[in-house]
Amino acid sequence: MVDFARVQKELQECNRDFEVSGIKVIPKSDANLAHLLGTIPGPLGTPYEGGSFKIDITLPDGYPFEPPKMHFATKVWHPNISSQSGAICLDILKDQWSPALTLKTALLSVQALLSAPEPDDPQDAVVAQQYLRDYPTFMGTARYWTEAFAMTSSLGVEEKVQKLVEMGFPEALVKSTLVSVNGDENMALEKLCSG
Amino acid sequence: MNNQGKEDYGDIGSEDFPDEFQCCVCLDIMYKPVVLACGHISCFWCVFKAMDSFRESHCPICRNPYNHFPSICRLLHFLLLKLYPSAYKRRERQVAEEEKKYGHTSPRFDGFSDSLSDKALGVQDTSPHTAATVFNMTQRRDSSLIQDSSVNEANMTMIPTTSSQESTTNMAKQGDSMVKSEVKNEARKQILMTDLQCTLCKQLLYRPIVLNCGHVYCEACINNQVNKVCRCPACQSVHPNGFPNVCFVLEHFLEEHFPEEYSARKVSLADQLHTNPSERTARKREQATECSSFPRRAYLSWLSDRGTKFHPAVGCDWCGMYPIVGERYKCKDCVEEIGFDLCEECYKSSSKLPGRFNQQHTPEHQFVIEKPIFQLRFEAVPPEHHDTGSLGITEEVMVSNSSNDTSQDEVDGAASLNLSPDSLQDLGNSIALPVPFNNPSEDQEYTDSGT
Repeated sequence: MVDFARVQKELQECNRDFEVSGIKVIPKSDANLAHLLGTIPGPLGTPYEGGSFKIDITLPDGYPFEPPKMHFATKVWHPNISSQSGAICLDILKDQWSPALTLKTALLSVQALLSAPEPDDPQDAVVAQQYLRDYPTFMGTARYWTEAFAMTSSLGVEEKVQKLVEMGFPEALVKSTLVSVNGDENMALEKLCSG
Repeated sequence: MNNQGKEDYGDIGSEDFPDEFQCCVCLDIMYKPVVLACGHISCFWCVFKAMDSFRESHCPICRNPYNHFPSICRLLHFLLLKLYPSAYKRRERQVAEEEKKYGHTSPRFDGFSDSLSDKALGVQDTSPHTAATVFNMTQRRDSSLIQDSSVNEANMTMIPTTSSQESTTNMAKQGDSMVKSEVKNEARKQILMTDLQCTLCKQLLYRPIVLNCGHVYCEACINNQVNKVCRCPACQSVHPNGFPNVCFVLEHFLEEHFPEEYSARKVSLADQLHTNPSERTARKREQATECSSFPRRAYLSWLSDRGTKFHPAVGCDWCGMYPIVGERYKCKDCVEEIGFDLCEECYKSSSKLPGRFNQQHTPEHQFVIEKPIFQLRFEAVPPEHHDTGSLGITEEVMVSNSSNDTSQDEVDGAASLNLSPDSLQDLGNSIALPVPFNNPSEDQEYTDSGT
């Protein structure tokens, strides 16, 4: 039986300092706290920068005495993450788990893994090979995957801005208007026209 | 399983307590705090559930290895109850619910100086007695007599487990009224220096250490004892595996609440001792490991030594060794599901400590030597096998004696296994463990996912 009282406390705690960490955990459905979705920002100075990576979290019955099961829901090119399944090779998610760790600290570790790949202990052999033998190509692929799979929403914003700018509105105004309507293109247009 | 997320888990913010009193496992206020040898604190059940049924356990915070489940630190228990009565009582009700659900009990403490708490905890005198309660009552009379005479714990008596629903609800109701009256009595929150005294030097605790038995002393007071073994002066039980670390949470509390007295203690001790206290401790710590009650390197030796007996998921009720390595003495007469077991050393000793789980054990009870569930045979396994699924366990893992039958005839059921250290975890998956609350063995997919 999962300790749901603890999970709830964890969620409160984690989402409280979202501003600082950028890490978010939300339940997949209101009915069940055993299935969660975590989001981590790609670390700065890595090919994952600017990406927002979703991680699927399943809590086993023994949680927090057993590690949470985590895998990437967003496709990512990294030696320790399967490019196919999103499986993560990280010791604290396996035998090095401790009940004092939380979903947030585990996600922070996953984020740290993105900055510090360990190609000698790979999850995805193909990626690891590329990392070791052809680092520039690895960087290129990782960047491309980030842009293609982890930045869809931000790319969308760029497109919307461009579209509205082409209609003749000043870029700064377009951006601020889009933010004020939470990125809804049509509402932004309406507001721009009326204002 | 559908409505799990929607349940109300109680108002967490009902009373604020500082982060230092938050249990790292349940993230709530520490309830019935247990202090590990490294000085880190957790709740009774949190520590128990986090322990490894097969190998030595590690502190959730610092991963310091330990083999004994320490007793609850009563000093901290009453301190927290006094400081944060409503949060602590809320936890008490929650844990009582859980314990009822799983049918196990943690030790209960009775005999507070304040009568209010007496009522809240002392179910037996006010609640309606059902047949089960009466049965327990008679047993309790025996056990409390024994405790009075032999246990050097002045105001601690074990309250019987009551299976009656009425008494539990009654307790909950009383708890509620308790909280209200506590609020009125803000003065109760005043922590007196006498609450935090070392029983040896009769002064404010300085650099407090908590022994395996749960008793608290100044580091220097225990250090000053001449004998090499770290033995509790109150209950005479040996502190296993060396010398404990200072409990920093408690130390910090003392420094904060009694700054003058604490620094005065520091100065006076510095005058007394020529050597640096921490150096002395380090030396003492080294000495102590030599005479620990727990065989040093026990886990290595039971892996390599064919004859070593090993009892997974069974703990000694006196010293707390878990799992028991060596001979296991099982009480024939204790009716509790969790049973009452002793390790060889404790069986031979004259210690009369109460059981870890509120068992109604009395000295009249008879013990039998319980054979290990399986015997181990170690064979060297090439290191590259470590992460494979087979893990060096020979073909079929046959564990036939998985029942917790007390019958001695089950001996023949002992299965012979070839094990590498890493395979133990997986072995855990294949055995139906006799004791509930066992540490859930690791994720089975662990070996399949590859690294």
